Amino acid sequence: MPDSEMVNHKISSVTNKNCVRDICLASHDVITDAGPLLTISEKISILSYNGGAMVAMKGKECVAIAADKRFGIQAQTLSTNFEKMFQMGPRMYLGLPGLATDTQTCHSKLRFRLNLYELKENRHIHPKTFAAMVSNFLYERRFGPYFVEPVIAGLDPVNFTPYVCNMDLIGCINEPEDFVVGGTCSEQLYGMCEVLWEPDLSPDDLFEKISQALVNACDRDAISGWGAVVHIIERDKITTRHLKTRMD
Amino acid sequence: MVSTMQSVCDVPAIHNAGPKAASFNPYADNGGSIVAIAGNDFAIIASDTRLSSGFSVYTREQSKLFKLSDTTVLGATGCWCDTLTLTRILEARMQMYLHEHQKCMSTAAVAQMLSTMMYYKRFFPYYISNILAGLDDEGKGCIYSYDVIGHCEKAKFRAGGSAGALLQPLLDNQIGLKNMENVDVQTINVEKALAVIKDVFISAAERDIYTGDSILIKVITKDGIRDENFPLRRD
Amino acid sequence: MCTFSRAPITTGTSVLGIKFDGGVAIAADILGSYGSLARFRDCPRIIKVNKNIILGAGGDYADYQYLKDIIEQKIIDDECQDDGFHLKPKSLHCWLTRVLYNRRSKFDPFWTNFIVGGIQDGETFLGTVDKLGTAYEDMHIATGYGAYIALPLMRDALEKNPDLDMRQAQELLVKCLEVLYYRDARSFPKVSLI
Repeated sequence: MPDSEMVNHKISSVTNKNCVRDICLASHDVITDAGPLLTISEKISILSYNGGAMVAMKGKECVAIAADKRFGIQAQTLSTNFEKMFQMGPRMYLGLPGLATDTQTCHSKLRFRLNLYELKENRHIHPKTFAAMVSNFLYERRFGPYFVEPVIAGLDPVNFTPYVCNMDLIGCINEPEDFVVGGTCSEQLYGMCEVLWEPDLSPDDLFEKISQALVNACDRDAISGWGAVVHIIERDKITTRHLKTRMD
Repeated sequence: MVSTMQSVCDVPAIHNAGPKAASFNPYADNGGSIVAIAGNDFAIIASDTRLSSGFSVYTREQSKLFKLSDTTVLGATGCWCDTLTLTRILEARMQMYLHEHQKCMSTAAVAQMLSTMMYYKRFFPYYISNILAGLDDEGKGCIYSYDVIGHCEKAKFRAGGSAGALLQPLLDNQIGLKNMENVDVQTINVEKALAVIKDVFISAAERDIYTGDSILIKVITKDGIRDENFPLRRD
Repeated sequence: MCTFSRAPITTGTSVLGIKFDGGVAIAADILGSYGSLARFRDCPRIIKVNKNIILGAGGDYADYQYLKDIIEQKIIDDECQDDGFHLKPKSLHCWLTRVLYNRRSKFDPFWTNFIVGGIQDGETFLGTVDKLGTAYEDMHIATGYGAYIALPLMRDALEKNPDLDMRQAQELLVKCLEVLYYRDARSFPKVSLI
């Protein structure tokens, strides 16, 4: 872990959804891509057709999940309030970054499976069980996959232990102790999270860290950004905040 | 390519017989990352020391920083054989400049020459991510970064190479103070810059297999160039 | 483009090189493979260039022989000059870098890799060049399958005992070649070691 003290000042946030329209830009610096020129083997994938970024982090008795709001077709931005995180339980969110049509299809299909589970079991699902359900759902389409890389964040309904996981588009689950990322700027997010994250963050600190990680990563990705949403999941409440970001 | 041609020209299929020549790729990705930060009266440039290809580490102690003059250092990662060639020609041309003009090339002049040299190979490029750090004519720190065909941009801080995408947003945040509110913008000092460089390299080594082993840092001030070493994870 | 780049025909497999206290050692087997056929059983590919350089080669044997002839001619020219100057390991290493890089830039590479060892100004030297012109120096170098099988063994041995003497270095190289013979289908039990 980093040994020097990192500066972290409050970043602006608005809790009211309507405020998203009057976005102010702090500065108008020109961004040029640092140019990962050594990744020409990286093919243009269907996964990066619409763009989008997502990150989830564990804290002390809380978890946070955050995503950008952009919906576009390649470089053209079509909407700046696209929903790609869905509440799938009282203390659990599912994020589906990737191809937007599959985001929506997977959401409704998983909602259907989850409803059946809840009717049959008459209880809320554990995040870990839900992850298995998503993984199973994706692997059914092993050779013609849905182009989403799901991120799950939640608290265990019984003992409230934090849980985050992500998986690839065919359902290989990764359950780390710190954070997970997904979407088109996952490299940038890894770089940010690796420095900012530390164990046992309080809900407020967790919000700062996840917001800084997401916003700064999105600023270096041409097809992510245009506003962001952060959900902080605690035992007794979920706080949803909408972030102002640069809109270019 | 061959098969397409044949179907168009309707050449008998027998011409396709015979041993297949192993395809030859003149480029290799030998990895490595570079970070450079410029201050008011200094410039710092750092690179990792791992030279690798695919899943094998060639050597753990290959510096990717090239001291070009007392005020200019070039960091180059990517295709190592291109780096060797480019830096050799660069050094030779700087010597020629020295003898012709009786003075050392300024950092800005090197920056322009490097751009020209990269563009000269526009259609068979040097596959290198270059970052040039140095002091300008007034003694201020400056950084120039390039793409493979010679596009050049002046900056205050820059990350490049295999972990460039991981490192750049961090520099934006910590050095450029992007997305921060209520911060007093003050110029960065050497100690802070060194601390940030070490931190970001530790993070990059966690996630990028082409970055690791150790970092070599060069601190360029008016008094000369100072070296520093820092170990990274070796796996 | 296809007319230029060929495939290697008769090939040699891994070459290993290591620095020890006061010198360097290079080792390789002497098999010339013809595809998967173990065709030529006496193809030594390590030579003493002059009194302070040794050279080992892997990859296409014909390309190696072509370059060997040129290098040997350079040494003869050196001798004829009789000015007391001799080719030095760093110079040969640098020269090979340029020759191989120039050929790769013409899309007509020498399909070989070299390990150059020697002593220059009282210091030991060990460097390598591959078919692209990628060159570096290290305490221990292995090419081909050796990079995956022998290099970890050599790194491990050097970590435990950083100052090998000549006998220990030789034993280490022989052990590495033995392990390579177990696992590398293109290897051979007869070796040359300088």
